Amino acid sequence: MPIINIDAKAKIRKIVVYAIYIILISSIQVSFPDAFSLFGQTADLMFVFVVLAGYFNGFWDGAVVGFICGLIRDVFSPPAVIGLDGEVRVTAFIGVFTLFAVGILGASFFTSRMHRNIPFSFVAVLFATFVYKTSGYILIYGWSMISGATSGMYSPFSAFVYSFLPQLLLNAMAAVPLMLLIRFLGPVSFKEKKQNDEIIGNDGGGKWLGI
Amino acid sequence: MKKLLKSKWFIALIIMLVLAACAILSLLPGSPVKRLLKPVQLVTSPAQSMVKSAGDTLTDFWSAITDGIAIREENRALKEQIADLRYHLTQNEEAALRYEELKEALHIKDMFSNYVIYGASILSRESDEWFSTIRLNAGEADGIALSEGNSYPVLDVEMNLVGRVIETSDTESRVLPLLHEGFAVAAKVNAVNGATFMIYGDAELKQQGLCLAKNIDQDSRLEPGMEIVTSGDGGLFPEGIPIGVIESVDYSNPLEITATIRPYSQIGKLEDVFIMIPYVEPEDNAATAASQGN
Repeated sequence: MPIINIDAKAKIRKIVVYAIYIILISSIQVSFPDAFSLFGQTADLMFVFVVLAGYFNGFWDGAVVGFICGLIRDVFSPPAVIGLDGEVRVTAFIGVFTLFAVGILGASFFTSRMHRNIPFSFVAVLFATFVYKTSGYILIYGWSMISGATSGMYSPFSAFVYSFLPQLLLNAMAAVPLMLLIRFLGPVSFKEKKQNDEIIGNDGGGKWLGI
Repeated sequence: MKKLLKSKWFIALIIMLVLAACAILSLLPGSPVKRLLKPVQLVTSPAQSMVKSAGDTLTDFWSAITDGIAIREENRALKEQIADLRYHLTQNEEAALRYEELKEALHIKDMFSNYVIYGASILSRESDEWFSTIRLNAGEADGIALSEGNSYPVLDVEMNLVGRVIETSDTESRVLPLLHEGFAVAAKVNAVNGATFMIYGDAELKQQGLCLAKNIDQDSRLEPGMEIVTSGDGGLFPEGIPIGVIESVDYSNPLEITATIRPYSQIGKLEDVFIMIPYVEPEDNAATAASQGN
């Protein structure tokens, strides 16, 4: 007779596998960023992992993994922002806010109708990266206008060529190994999930885009 | 209402509003909000250190295999260099003795004699272009205490400017790198009466590893290749720290001459850095010196 029932086993697997992946990916991200940098940009492994966790495993997985990854990001490499008084300060909780939102975003688009299939996970990553970059750029532009710190701004053309395009390319490349990890060595059994795909509509995926 | 409270979208919205409020509060000077991240730091920092050292070991092992021939070549060249340097050392020993005598006589000060230099290792680097502060393994427990509005220069092993410390905790410090758009330093051309100006980080130039020089005097002639060092104006950085070289100069607008600077320090390749802290004489010694002076 099994000591732990199947549900508990699945939960333990989920927690342990997520914990290992989160620690590994976030540590690799901040310890060796040069290993996956191109054209002045770095592949955002944590970001891609959060999007894929949301895309494959649903709303709450995306939200919780995004929240935890965001906390770690805020500890390891928080952004420094020019305050209204002109002083540069290290912030907190911007990483949590960003990755929490990204996890939800990953779980909400391209999921229900596409049955979270593998090819569309790349579309989800590219879409989330584009939304992140665009909103980040708009926020920084707005904040720079308010604080008078024009050094943080760059033209939309430069942003697209030097920031958006390399980041989209790098994140798409990073999505390949991470997608394989989550889908085939992931926190949730692939076999089990295939059978329960119909629960996505209730527990996980949104229906905002009827693709 | 009950349905609303159970809605995942409503819960997510509330969490996001709380997080946004915390993020805004963290911008206030001395905000206690950042302390909420302390438990996360205690758990994740050792794990990250383990992953980093494992990665470093693997990289070293791989380098040992692949760089064998190159190392042998380098070793031969270094041996020749050592022999050459030994010769020069012998020549310079006498000059050094004379310099020490003259230094005493003329009260010449070493460039950084009023600073205490602390060594530190880089724990983590930037995650992306916006999450871009650097974490060092030296903090208040090591004597690096930072008061509000204060900052310390950070240099690489060749004493080139890397950035400045903007926050410290018990065991760690955070560095604002030279290329960050919030960075500013007073600089000058490394020559007698060299032109002075300000150097800023710039979001657009950061992608190319450059920073921007502004407030350049109309009469000064800057040329690519000129070495730039800190000017010491403003008091935050001592005079004479090498920053980099001029990459290009834009004279198109005589009222706003700008130049791009390529910094010497390559942050991506750094492992260890040095923090310069102004030397403060202990109060007892200062009082003794003052009474002896009287």
